[in-house]
Amino acid sequence: MAEVHVIGQIMGATGFSESSLFCKWGVHTGAAWKLLSGIREGQTQVDTPQVGDMAYWSHPIDLHFATKGLQGWPRLHLQVWSQDSFGRCQLAGYGFCHVPSSPGTHQLTCPTWRPLGSWREQLARAFVGGGPQLLHGDTIYSGADRYRLHTAAGGTVHLEIGLLLRHFDRYGVEC
Amino acid sequence: MAAGGPSVFLLMVNGQVESAQFPEFDNLYCKYCFVYGQDWAPTAGLEEGISQITSKSRDACHALVWNFPIDITFKSTNPFGWPQIVLSVYGPDVFGNDVVRGYGAVHVPFSPGRHKRTIPMFVPESTSKLQKFTSWFMGRRPEYTDPKVVAQGEGREAQPS
Repeated sequence: MAEVHVIGQIMGATGFSESSLFCKWGVHTGAAWKLLSGIREGQTQVDTPQVGDMAYWSHPIDLHFATKGLQGWPRLHLQVWSQDSFGRCQLAGYGFCHVPSSPGTHQLTCPTWRPLGSWREQLARAFVGGGPQLLHGDTIYSGADRYRLHTAAGGTVHLEIGLLLRHFDRYGVEC
Repeated sequence: MAAGGPSVFLLMVNGQVESAQFPEFDNLYCKYCFVYGQDWAPTAGLEEGISQITSKSRDACHALVWNFPIDITFKSTNPFGWPQIVLSVYGPDVFGNDVVRGYGAVHVPFSPGRHKRTIPMFVPESTSKLQKFTSWFMGRRPEYTDPKVVAQGEGREAQPS
């Protein structure tokens, strides 16, 4: 079986209007992929920037997959939330990006979006907080049924992902 | 066809902790240590170190220069658990106590050659305002008992920074 190592960090986020941010992340793969070691999902700490406006998480990612096919190449999906001083959490953005397919270190930027809702919900969000959220997390990384949504842009999440591939040449894949 | 057995490879890391930018603090020293998975073992060099105490330079960039050497070789059979270098920076506060000024971690680069990495640092923060004031006053900041925690992904939800 061919093996893929995804080793890197979720560095941080910029461009969000809120300041205390944390990120829930996960990696989704197709049915032919098996996770041999590592943790497939997690949550970063809440970071409040003191200098500048980038919230830094430096959250390590270390995954080892084995696969029999290229379908369902891993996708990293993210949910960025903000936490206020009362401890309430509000959604700041959803985003996803494919894990790169060429070996080496890559700097990735993942733009995010959040569902808008009706004008009433937008007004309520401005005053009280909260706001609409997705019921099913898989809409973040799949394209089906997206046409129903009206969304607004959030900030950008910065990642540094390194990729190591093994035994792909046995299956005739050049990388 | 199958490979004969686990193949061992060596990873040699040499470099330095060059300098830091901390706009608010001065007279800092740093400690480094390596965190790695179960399949990795250091074969040569030092796994941990403490640098000298340095003051800010007088010029415009206010850099804190350590120029602290790092030299280590690892032996492994599996890229999982690729080593990370964890840095902790400490300095004196207003009352003269030694407090932590930042933690940061980064993976050792994968490709051979010369690399430069800039690591953002963070400090854990108390969640209540009273605790923040007490810790400022008593000089006892929230600190990790084991800095290696910074290199792990689990359990981060409970820590504000």
